[in-house]
Order: sequence, then C-alpha cells, then structure tokens
Amino acid sequence: MISTTSTYRQDILSSTGHFGPYGGTYVPEVLLPGLQDIAAAYDHLKTDPDFLDEFHTALREFDGRPTPLTPLPRLSAEIGGAQIFLKNEGLNHTGAHKINHCIGQAILAKRLGKTRIIAETGAGQHGYATAAVCARFGLDCTVYMGRIDYERQRPNVYWMELLGAKVVPVEDGSQTLNDAVIAAFKDWVEHPESYYLLGSAVGPHPYPAMNTFFQKIVGEETRQQCLDQIGRTPDYVMACVGGGSNAMGMFFEFLDDEQVQLIGVEAGGRGTQPGEHAAKVRQGVKGIFEGYHSYFLQDGDGNIASTHSVSAGLDYCGISPILAHLADEGRVQFATASDETALAAVQRLALAEGIIPALESAHAFAHAFELAANLTPDQVIVVNASGRGEKDLFITMRHFQPESLRKVGELLLKG
Amino acid sequence: MQIPIMAHLVLGYPTLPESIRTAELYIAAGCAILELQIPFSHPTADGPVITRACQVAVEEQGITVANCLEAIAGLTSRFPQQEIIVMSYLNRIYTYGADRFREKMERMGIRHLIVPDLPVDSPVAKALHQPGQLQLLPVLAANVSDARLQQLLAAGHDFFYLMSDFKITGSTFSLNPRLKHIAQTIKATQANARVGIGFGISTAEQIHQVLEVADCAIIGSALIRAQEENRLNRYFNELLLETTKST
Repeated sequence: MISTTSTYRQDILSSTGHFGPYGGTYVPEVLLPGLQDIAAAYDHLKTDPDFLDEFHTALREFDGRPTPLTPLPRLSAEIGGAQIFLKNEGLNHTGAHKINHCIGQAILAKRLGKTRIIAETGAGQHGYATAAVCARFGLDCTVYMGRIDYERQRPNVYWMELLGAKVVPVEDGSQTLNDAVIAAFKDWVEHPESYYLLGSAVGPHPYPAMNTFFQKIVGEETRQQCLDQIGRTPDYVMACVGGGSNAMGMFFEFLDDEQVQLIGVEAGGRGTQPGEHAAKVRQGVKGIFEGYHSYFLQDGDGNIASTHSVSAGLDYCGISPILAHLADEGRVQFATASDETALAAVQRLALAEGIIPALESAHAFAHAFELAANLTPDQVIVVNASGRGEKDLFITMRHFQPESLRKVGELLLKG
Repeated sequence: MQIPIMAHLVLGYPTLPESIRTAELYIAAGCAILELQIPFSHPTADGPVITRACQVAVEEQGITVANCLEAIAGLTSRFPQQEIIVMSYLNRIYTYGADRFREKMERMGIRHLIVPDLPVDSPVAKALHQPGQLQLLPVLAANVSDARLQQLLAAGHDFFYLMSDFKITGSTFSLNPRLKHIAQTIKATQANARVGIGFGISTAEQIHQVLEVADCAIIGSALIRAQEENRLNRYFNELLLETTKST
C-alpha cells in the first residue's frame, strides 16, 4: 500500500543504491573502483550548477527538448472513454528517450577524463543515442548488441556505424539484450579505464538512480504540460517497461502525487510459458544478477530464463530495482500487453492520430486503449511514447505488408 | 607429492559422472587444490570456454545445485585429505538460500568459496563468510588499492585469488607487474595467507612465472579446452611433467 509519509523522490535521489531490499552493487571486485568513481562523480555533479547547465543546454540545443504533450482527440472519441494524451519522446534526436541519459552520462564521463565509451543495446535505441552523443562529444564508442537484435534492428546498426561507433554482435546465449550487457561488462573488465555507459535504470549502483536522474526531465515536462494544457495532473500515467528507463523517467515526477495512478506495461509476448514473454513483475522471482538485486525471470534453480518480445527493447530478463521496490510498495501497478496487441496499437495510433510509435511504447498504448474504454471522458490518461517507430520498419512491414517486404528485398538484391 | 596447482572444472560438464572422473584425475595427479564450479546459465565473468561448459551442464545436462552438492559431498567423503574450493555465481546460491548453502558447505568440510560477482563485504556476503569456518575468497585484479587490500586482510580473509591481468578467463596470458606488490603486501600483513593466480594460464612456463609471485597457479579454461578436443589426459600429464621437472 501507498505509504502516507512517503517522499519517494527524495529517497531515490539521496539513495546509495538500495531501494527497499533491491539494488546494490554485485559485481566482480575488479569493477568496484570504476563504479565507485562514477558514483562519486554522480553524487557530486547532480547538484553542481555548471554540470546541470551543460546538461540542460545539450538537451535543448542537441536533443531538441522539450518534447510535446499531444492530445489524441480522434482516438479518444473512437474509444469513447478517457481522454488520452501522448508524451512524444519519439521526437528526441535519434528517436527515443534514451538520449537523455546518454547526454548526462557522456558529460559525466568527460568530467572524469574518460576517452572511450562502452555500451550495450537491445532495440538499438540506446546504442544509437550513445553513438550520436559520443560523436558529438568526441568520445571513442563500442556498442555490444545480441546477434538476434543486430539482425532485427539493422537500421540502427547502420546509423551507429555511420556515427563512427564500433558495433559488436554478441553470439553468446540467447543473443539478445541480456547477452549484450554481459559482453559490455566483460569489455569493462578488460578495459577498466573505459567508461561503461549503461542504458537503463538497471545494473549496479549508481546506474539505476543516475539514469532515473537524467531521465526525470520527461515526467517534469509532462507534469507541467498537464497543468498548462488541462489545468491539473492526469489520473493515469503509463509507460512500457523493459529495464525501466523510460518508465522511471516518466513516473519519477509523479511519485509523490498520490492521486496519480502509475502503470508500467511489460511485454506479454506470445504467452505465459517460460521463454515466451518478458513480464518480470508478473512472473519473475527475486534474484541477484548483472550487478543488482531485483525481480528476474528464472528457472526456479537460479538460472536466468530466456525471454521473448516482438520489441527488442523489452526483451530483457530483469527490471529496475527501483521499479521492483515501487511494485512491492504498490505505488506502481503493472500490466502486460502481447506482441499482437502491441502491433495492433501501432496501426491504430498511426491511422487515427498520424503517429507511429516504437513497438516498445506500443505496449503501453495497447494497455491504455483497453483501460480508457472503461473510464469516463472527464478522466485523463498520459502515455509515454518513449520512441518512434521507424526503426521497426522490417518488423512491422513483415506483419502488415509481407508482400511489400518481399519486393523491397528483391529490389535491394538486384541493386 | 603435492603440485601447487588449483585445477578447475565445471560440474556437469560434459556430464556429471564424467566431471567427477575428471576431479578424480586431478586428485590422483596430486593437484594441491581442486576448484569445483557450479554451472550457471550466464557466467558473467567467464570467457567463452567456461561459458560453453556451463551451457552444456545447464541446458543439455540440466544440472541442479542439489546435483552439484551431492557430487561435492561424494568427493569430500572419498577424499577427505583433498583441499576443495567451491565456486558459484551469486544467483544460484541466493536462490538456494545463502544460509542453507553455507551449512551444506560446512558440513562437507569446504573451507573456501569463490563467488565472482559478490564483493566480499556486501550485505549478502555476511551469510557466506564466517572466519574459522567457511570463508569467501576475494578475487582481485591489479587495480585493487592498498587501502582496500588492508580492509580485506582485516576482515580475516586468508586466501586471495589474483587475476593475472585485466582479462576474462581463458584469455591470452600476461602477468600484471603490480601483482608482485599485492602478493607481498598480503604476505607481509598476514604471513599465513595464501595467494593464487589464475586467468589464461595454459603452459608450464606460465605456471613457473606465476609461482614466483604466488603459492599456486589456477588453471581452468585450458583444461576444459583440452577436454573439448579429447586430449585432456595427454595435455594434463605433459603439463604436470613439465611443471614438476623444472621446479
């Protein structure tokens, strides 16, 4: 239940990496000095006016913030329930919210005197944003990507390489985000002088808190836009949850608004069997993996299970320790959306409102459409469109126009 | 004769009975220490060779923690004089229950445990580190500070695993020059403390190089690689011969 004395925001900002029983720093000793340097820098810089000025200037001038809060009148009327609004993080430079924490961490890395950046990526959005930021700040960049994601998110691989990054496909394990994270950690063991620019609100301290800090601009803007555009805070705020960076960015500013219901939407995939989904809160169990204590999808004997989602960005075994804590506290509710309903949501949003969301974000919309139908027109739902859908070209095309995809393939082969 | 080698193997690779026979081979040859790794689906600090072995044990053989504990108990009862160290990633121990795991270790007479993704002074580590009984073995690299080293020595650790260099297991061997200072600091502070060096060791020459700095050389990936290529017996016997001939 919601604690009446809670100041969730303060607790997260002042935390040393523990969120209820979750979080922590569970890594090989060789990585501790590097993590301690980053944690100390973050602790100092989060209140440093010069640093914050540089961060916000880059968000404005390079990234293009603020992003709009867009009403969806046609879709809301079609559904006939609550008014739905969309926070368009897809309009960020490189197409998703990821660039917010990339800018913050890159400036921090520069202050630490780092010259080489390591990153992992799932959908490729974090890798793409990291590559852009590294080019912008003159940093050498290596991105690890599971082989399956490397193939299914080919456009982003190309953009990363065009931006000068080295993209390494990871052949281990299930060849998705999880394996990319492990490969990035191994690179860091071999190059402890490099900076690991981890791309979600997961991992050892300080990443969960630090990425939340850099992402909270999303919810700050949204809350103010709600006050300006509708004169009050919304009734529901929703975001999709893979690791949890866009959800934490969106939810943070609303955590202490008890009247605002926060809903995280996980990947329901193809079913509830192990390996068919990525719903950590629904089916995960407590564990300690990849540096942090949280909910993980596992086999019951301590092995990590494989996951599935049509969206690479949600196809991950763990969840932010901050979200695990907020789930236990009942402050954030969780739901799931299947591959099919997410794909349908992409089409529905495109046809009714002229916006093509990323498949990840489409999970949040799928649930929002369902919920909206059961609410009344005086109620307001805000959904975080964490990314735009262009990167999903080959996946959505295969689904909606398989014949066109085949023709594109033939044309390309002919040269 | 005891040979100053810690021979590592993954339980359940290629099968559980075969991994036990491999352990017997190492014991019979006189390896001072046997390191038994409980396989994990995602061995985050290991290189491709040990990762493959873990995959076989977990995915093909379906080895459980209970299977491993039973196998270890069998070895400790049959070879009570043999020093055995157990290695496991944290999530398998956490899921089994840290207290329950420690009790099992103590009952089997295991004195040292390696958990590569667990800083030895984190809250969860307290359940697994009881000086005088079961101890966690810190795995350190050349970037460990002198202050941190003193902190670990003060916490009663009496065995230290040093990474030969900034590498993952099974990489090309190199010996970081700072390890000598680290080993000397450990010995100077606690004369009885032991030091092992591992990661990338595959030849007798490398073993000799390591033994100039440490009490034992830890060999893992090279043995599994030989096993993959069906030449473990020959490789291992030649390695021991070369090692003992020139010491």
